[in-house]
Amino acid sequence: MLGEFEYIIITAAAGLGEQAYGAAIREQIETTAGRKCSIGALYTTIDRLEAKGLVRTWMGEATAERGGRAKRMVEVTADGVRAATEFYEAMMRVSRGAAWADRSIETRKGSAV
Amino acid sequence: MTDWGWRLVEGTASWLEEPEREAVLGDLAESGEAAWRGVAAVMGLAMRRQAELWANWRPWLAVFGVALPSSFQLMGFSLLVSRMAGQLLGAERPGGTELGLLVCRVVLLLCWAWSGGFVVGSLSRRTLWASATACLVPCLFCLSRFAVPGMSRVSLLLFAVPAVFGVWSGLRRRRLRAGQALVLALLVTWLMLPGWSGSWLYALWLLWPAWFLVGTARPAVVKA
Repeated sequence: MLGEFEYIIITAAAGLGEQAYGAAIREQIETTAGRKCSIGALYTTIDRLEAKGLVRTWMGEATAERGGRAKRMVEVTADGVRAATEFYEAMMRVSRGAAWADRSIETRKGSAV
Repeated sequence: MTDWGWRLVEGTASWLEEPEREAVLGDLAESGEAAWRGVAAVMGLAMRRQAELWANWRPWLAVFGVALPSSFQLMGFSLLVSRMAGQLLGAERPGGTELGLLVCRVVLLLCWAWSGGFVVGSLSRRTLWASATACLVPCLFCLSRFAVPGMSRVSLLLFAVPAVFGVWSGLRRRRLRAGQALVLALLVTWLMLPGWSGSWLYALWLLWPAWFLVGTARPAVVKA
């Protein structure tokens, strides 16, 4: 099964689609998950995911705002989608009945009303 | 980021492999992080990469199986060869046996140093700094305490040039051809019979790299 950070990276990369590369994934994680993401943690985890066949990476185009340097593009593979789905469903199952899970459902219901 | 700050980040990034360096420096340029944050980020990644390398047995073998023990023994053997050469040069009429033994020991020293260097270079490409340190520290220690009358300190380091050449070859070629490796190993083993007068247990530390090269050699290609 995936680790929590691996899941976050796969989710961020999948959300970014064709625009998924190091800096964009990092920014996405920091804004949506609200946690700091170091370059070291990001790239070593991407390597691990690639070794497991859950993502595919390649060197993309260079842009002027990057000082003419290439991006490392990331694409989630079918196995990656499957692994992320399994992780998500397992977390939902495990969380059923937990006080914080119920509370978040109630909060969502309240805000909908 | 200031010019000097960016240069500092680029200098630190030289620890990373080429494609990764490119991606990381691009990410830092795009995010416009402060220089010290950039240096910390690159150092963090470089340290993680090093930690990954040390999870493998190869760098450990290169440091503690070759670089560290061989440096002491090769210094001792360099000294022996230097002393013998000095005595023969000082003799009025050097004997053929002594001359033959000297040649045998010189070749043995070259082969030991080269094969050890080759193994270090091929096993620890990205952890070469650790193998180099493990070899340099004993050398510096012995050089600082060297006090043999009538002998130069350089005599301790006769092995250095072939060892460095061996490292360079190991970095470039990684593996020898099976035939080359076998010839080298047999030559070293054969030369040790007349050339080595100490304990064979110590000699094995110098001998095993040559046989390791046989074990890891590229098999000969048989043409159809």
